[in-house]
Amino acid sequence: MATITLTDKDRFLINQEGQDFSHEAKTFIKIRELALKNLKGLDFPTRKLEDWKYTNLREVSKTEFRPQTAVNIIEEKIKAHKIPNLDAYVLVFVNGFFAPKFSNTVEEKDGDFIVTNLNKAKKDFIKLVEPHLGFQTRAKDQFFVNLNSAFSQDGGFIYVKSKAVLDKPVHIINLVDGDLVASYPRNLIVAEKSAKAKVVVSYETIDSNSALSNVINEVVVAEGANVILDKIQNENSNTYHIGADFATQQKDSIFTINTIPANAKLIRNNLNIVINGTNSVANLYGAICLNGDIHVDNQTFVDHAKPNCESNELYKTVVNDSATSIFNGKIYVNQIAQKTNAFQSNANILLSDDARANSKPQLEIYADDVKCSHGCTIGQFDNEALFYLKSRGIREEVAQKVLLDAFIGEVLDNIEEEPVRKYVDQLIADNFNSKN
Amino acid sequence: MLKIDGLEAEIEGKQILKGLNLEVKPGEIHAVMGPNGSGKSTLASVLAGREEYEVTGGSVDFLEKDLLDLAPEERAGEGVFLAFQYPVEIPGVSNINFIKTAVNEVRDYRGLPAMETKEFMAHLKEKQKLVKLSGKLANRSVNEGFSGGEKKRNEIFQMAMLEPKLGVLDETDSGLDIDALRIVASGVNELKSSKNAFVVITHYQRLLDYIVPDFVHVLYDGKIVKTGSKELALELEEKGYDWIIEEIEGKS
Repeated sequence: MATITLTDKDRFLINQEGQDFSHEAKTFIKIRELALKNLKGLDFPTRKLEDWKYTNLREVSKTEFRPQTAVNIIEEKIKAHKIPNLDAYVLVFVNGFFAPKFSNTVEEKDGDFIVTNLNKAKKDFIKLVEPHLGFQTRAKDQFFVNLNSAFSQDGGFIYVKSKAVLDKPVHIINLVDGDLVASYPRNLIVAEKSAKAKVVVSYETIDSNSALSNVINEVVVAEGANVILDKIQNENSNTYHIGADFATQQKDSIFTINTIPANAKLIRNNLNIVINGTNSVANLYGAICLNGDIHVDNQTFVDHAKPNCESNELYKTVVNDSATSIFNGKIYVNQIAQKTNAFQSNANILLSDDARANSKPQLEIYADDVKCSHGCTIGQFDNEALFYLKSRGIREEVAQKVLLDAFIGEVLDNIEEEPVRKYVDQLIADNFNSKN
Repeated sequence: MLKIDGLEAEIEGKQILKGLNLEVKPGEIHAVMGPNGSGKSTLASVLAGREEYEVTGGSVDFLEKDLLDLAPEERAGEGVFLAFQYPVEIPGVSNINFIKTAVNEVRDYRGLPAMETKEFMAHLKEKQKLVKLSGKLANRSVNEGFSGGEKKRNEIFQMAMLEPKLGVLDETDSGLDIDALRIVASGVNELKSSKNAFVVITHYQRLLDYIVPDFVHVLYDGKIVKTGSKELALELEEKGYDWIIEEIEGKS
């Protein structure tokens, strides 16, 4: 008698099946089929892999997460996840599925921009979606990228026409509701020539005892375009969040991403930026303040493929309790990418004996006329500064907060929208307090 | 106001203060002078509550409270202010936010409501004028990129804002040119009243031309070995410390 032994991955993938994508255009089904094919040859990444050295996903592979639609979503529950005073186009997704009732879309065919859900765009704006969707996520060796490509339910689609400016930011709210939920939200942001867009993507929880959010943001930055993406990760402490962001820039463009991993059980971010045109700037900022036993792993990759470009990367981390932060940043400067200016810095402050920070800044340079620097620091708040503040009557906890704001503020100053900044400030202030 | 009795303190196992006595009454200015390594800065640090210094004996009463029992921020709340010899640079914290936080923390400690912005700004402008501190420095990070003179004037400015009962000036004159010295001194003289007191720690006599002390103490080997009037400072300037040291060591 022949026996078939199912691996954890096999069981996991079986649980993801059952979604019907047959209504999609062939071109999009192809993306899913290719991803499924890739998944056959892949497995959950293990700590044996250099890039996964510090992050263990055994529990994810053994948990019966599956896609589920949420029931009984009421306005009240959604409201709590909006950013106060932010005037924005809002798209809401619950468990990866679009919630049109709580969203405001802009879909005029001859308008300056389109803000809608990706499933709708795949039907109504197929010519705008097809050239870009999945274009940056074809890597065969990335398990979670392929997982999202295969099973993504929906996501935001933002398209800004040539020379047009998105008049308000778009806020894409991704919520999780229910136990053992697997969500695969996937956003596609396209800024055509000289277009401008500001997008805030937040990930939060309505209610869940266990969840997996496997998310992707694909950003296309055409010649002369300017895109700002703020990514706020604030799910509950039962959630595994594994995300990847992709951006490709053409010449004279600017792309800025502010990553704020605030809460979850585990967060893994893979940020991939390809600067594929001259005179472009990529800004990568991370503001990370952690407490409890959260594990946050940020991996960044900047590919300087063309000359005369600049990248600025600053990740600042404050770790309390027994939380862990990992930073692994790589800057790759192609042989032809002369006159590259690349700066990378990761500074960590540990507030408790059990807090951990691992930092690995990397430069790989093949051009000979470049200006590149990288560095990392791990330490505590400056005792002299603390004493100075206290000697002026400022209580220890207030003094620490003053120094925190100064430290993280340098990163947060890059968030342009005041309401978003306030929202993030509060998340960081809350996380600064010990959970113990 | 301040009564230091037999104070002994050490740092990293090395005893620096060896039974220091000093009494300061409201309205008085005391100068503490002494050669390098005599314990001048240790005295200032112990009064402000620096953790690295361990008090191993004696007592410090401040307005009937055991000062040594209070945290540094509580000492500030009670009305002790230390002007640092080396003011600390704090990148990313604006001078104005820093001083506003400090003022309101101290007010909170003293049971007063937080100062309204308008009132605070008026207060700020008045005190900036006192030490001729440029308004531009308010928005800069605390002490970052300040010149030596600006840093010291910033110390006196903070002192003016916090209205302490006892100001301890730790070698505020070091690294100052004569103009800055005059500004700092006139700031202190303006703040001086019958209700507050100052302990001016200095290596040189020249500051005392501008801040005239009621008493001059000589600190040597962790103790105050001689106390006199302002003329003592002049004598020290002229003759150095050796004659006093000889006098002491001759006695023992």
